[in-house]
Amino acid sequence: MAPDDRALIERVARRDESAFGELVGRYQGRLFTVAHRLLGNRADAEDAVQRAFLNCYLRSDTYDARWQVSTWLYRVLTNVCVDELRRRKTVGFPVETPDAGPIVEKPGQHLDLRRALEKVPTEARLLLALRYVDGLSYGELAKIRGISINTVKSQLARGKSILRKALQ
Amino acid sequence: MDRVDEMLAAHFSVEPAPAELASRIVRRAHDAEREVGRLLDEIEIAATDRGVCLVRAERLAPPPSAKARRLVEQARVELAEYLQGKRTFFAVPVDLSGVPAFQRRVLEVARRIPFGEVRAYAWVAERIRHPRAVRAVGTALGRNPVPLIVPCHRVLRSDGGVGGYLFGTRVKDRLLALERSTPVLEGCTTTRIVCRVGCVHGRHMSPSNRVVFASVADARSVGYRPCKVCRPAAA
Repeated sequence: MAPDDRALIERVARRDESAFGELVGRYQGRLFTVAHRLLGNRADAEDAVQRAFLNCYLRSDTYDARWQVSTWLYRVLTNVCVDELRRRKTVGFPVETPDAGPIVEKPGQHLDLRRALEKVPTEARLLLALRYVDGLSYGELAKIRGISINTVKSQLARGKSILRKALQ
Repeated sequence: MDRVDEMLAAHFSVEPAPAELASRIVRRAHDAEREVGRLLDEIEIAATDRGVCLVRAERLAPPPSAKARRLVEQARVELAEYLQGKRTFFAVPVDLSGVPAFQRRVLEVARRIPFGEVRAYAWVAERIRHPRAVRAVGTALGRNPVPLIVPCHRVLRSDGGVGGYLFGTRVKDRLLALERSTPVLEGCTTTRIVCRVGCVHGRHMSPSNRVVFASVADARSVGYRPCKVCRPAAA
């Protein structure tokens, strides 16, 4: 039987690399998808996921056992992604630029959605990504971003309302 | 479920992650721990009563007074926090009174380059109203008496090359990477206050109470208020 997430984290805190490998394997797909959709290119998304897991590896002793491991990982990842988005807004000559290449459209997906999502404020976009990648509850979203459940609901509603208007 | 919900569900469907991620992260973790520790061990700091006047990787004279000793200690703590990714600004004063006027102007401009950002040598030359003195700017920065605290490592060549650095280009690269991966604004989930990373308020914050924001406006939009001590909106 596979060990549960909390047991894995305890082993990671003791620098058990095989446990860390298993933890990464369990969550990398979902974390990578959130990062990719938020940051817009694979290279930045991969770097963000690496940095998030790196923080988890180096600071696994600060993990609070009252948290679900997935909630904790999403908190760490969103902290990394949000700071990357801040860095892109700042002036200076850019070290790297977001991927401006063509978007591969999936069946049923509208090309305009990505452009419309760019109009959604950062906090609302982040909540939408977490909600739709992993189906997280309002309570989990509130915990990940350190906000109230009512704020989560209003941010999601605001984000969707902006999308609806942009897609009309 | 309406049309927007369906589109969002399709857009955010899980995709495969890159291969061998775990082993690459473990390698990166070992490198990060080694390099930060080495840099901290090498640094020596000197100060006058007015502020830090020298940061070097060599043996320096002991502080001349109790006040200077306190400043050296403050600088050491802030540098350690900076190199561990827990600080984005220095509160310790610097004393550039022994530096020639031209170099002082260059260093004052370099000091105002925000954390995590980079500028070209030519940009600094323009700011001091000597647009053709790019080489002299490079020399002035190369002789920076207080590297790290006056962030001359944030100045690069116009073609994006790293240029020179007192502690070597490898350290300069490492510092730039460190600043790229250190967040600038953090909020406390219990107090709902947003601070600059390194603010005295953040020092006692539990890691599980820490959330990062992209801007003060974003933090306000979800109910956080800016700290009155570090004033993140003015940074």
